[in-house]
Amino acid sequence: MQDPAARSRVLLTKSFIDSHDRAIATIALALRDAAMEVVLIDYEQPEDVVSVALQEDVDVIGVSFMSGGQVETTEKIVAELARQGVPDLPIVVGGIIRPFDVPPLEAVGVREIFRGGAPMADVVATFERLSREYRGLSQGAEA
Amino acid sequence: MSAARKGFDAATLLTGVRRSDTLAISRAITAIENETSAGCELALAVADSRGGCRTIGVTGPPGAGKSSLINALMAELLPRFGRIGVLTVDPSSPVSGGAVLGDRVRMAAYSGNPNVFIRSLASRGHLGGVTRTTRSVIDLLAAGGMDLVIVETVGTGQSEVEVAGLTDLKLVVCAPGLGDEMQAIKAGVLEIADLLVVNKADLPDAERTMMHLKAMLGYRGHDERRAALKVSSMRGEGLTELAEAIAARLAQSVVTSTPERRMHPRLRLAEDVAALAAALVREGANPELDALAEAAATGALPRHDAVMAALRALAEREITVAPLR
Repeated sequence: MQDPAARSRVLLTKSFIDSHDRAIATIALALRDAAMEVVLIDYEQPEDVVSVALQEDVDVIGVSFMSGGQVETTEKIVAELARQGVPDLPIVVGGIIRPFDVPPLEAVGVREIFRGGAPMADVVATFERLSREYRGLSQGAEA
Repeated sequence: MSAARKGFDAATLLTGVRRSDTLAISRAITAIENETSAGCELALAVADSRGGCRTIGVTGPPGAGKSSLINALMAELLPRFGRIGVLTVDPSSPVSGGAVLGDRVRMAAYSGNPNVFIRSLASRGHLGGVTRTTRSVIDLLAAGGMDLVIVETVGTGQSEVEVAGLTDLKLVVCAPGLGDEMQAIKAGVLEIADLLVVNKADLPDAERTMMHLKAMLGYRGHDERRAALKVSSMRGEGLTELAEAIAARLAQSVVTSTPERRMHPRLRLAEDVAALAAALVREGANPELDALAEAAATGALPRHDAVMAALRALAEREITVAPLR
């Protein structure tokens, strides 16, 4: 029996003005099928992402970008994580990530970047790994 | 164990909860939800701390607009109650055990509001519209300084009435066109309602649905606590009247039907014992319990003997850390 304590909780989010929700819905279902609990939210302010992550006690934050704000929004979220006392909470980003977005995203500590065409198995494995790391569980071990 | 990660043990969490620290409240809820021994200890420590915190259960079929109604009501409720906690329950997949928790998408406007704490709960196989540990999570939010806790149930079926035993006031949300009078007099979710709310009053069938519900209330005889109201979350109509009806009922002592009073004390004790015992047997490195479990699994030891031996082992051992105060 899998210990319920080992269940991963992740937050998937995009801006409320961004109506491209196909990617985020597809990933949410894949993570659900991998036994994770996925909280969805369309943020109004980048800082809201952190408020929600704290209330929901998630292990990973995934941010989808289909229009603009890739770097600016991510920087704001990372700054708010530090301000709220959870600088270790991992962030991954995905969607339309242009080549010149990559260095600044990596510089602020984004743990993984998924651009179009990333295999779903890799996406799921990354969320699982980051979640376990954040909860201090060893890889693949039962809690 | 998740509750123990990064120094967040039960005692530290409890101190944080009583200081209304968001992260402590949130991690304590995780421990309670995961039914760890730390979570059980926390649940027991806050079990009698409802105090003046009032509770509302919101139930109704999927798509009736429960989340949108809570979102629309928030502006009316915040001035009447200082701090509001919202628990939204969504179903876990019976196949994978995972869940997509999307109710708070409708409440995005309150994501950053310091007086609103919203938590999404996955049903994790529990039926009845709430989770196995919802009562304890409500207690914890009360201990964390919430003045009002709203519980939104899973929106499935006609009999998700467990929320009735957990909350002071029950709202049943219906969308127009729920069916005929026969639907309205069936047993189940409609009979637990204090307030029947016909949402989406902007749709054409709303008046007819109101008529059916009012007729049902009439058949049951007059009860001043019960009423049917019409609102439109989208247009913002009827919300003030609904908030007034809620506040009036919560102010009456007649509605203070706390779960403790509803639940048989022996049943409650049995639940608490079962939860803690299960957590202690399940977690941690324990060669004695490993050996018992293995012996029972291979048939070397009758299952009854293994269970009795495990119970004795728990009773003899100094149970966890000092009890939380």
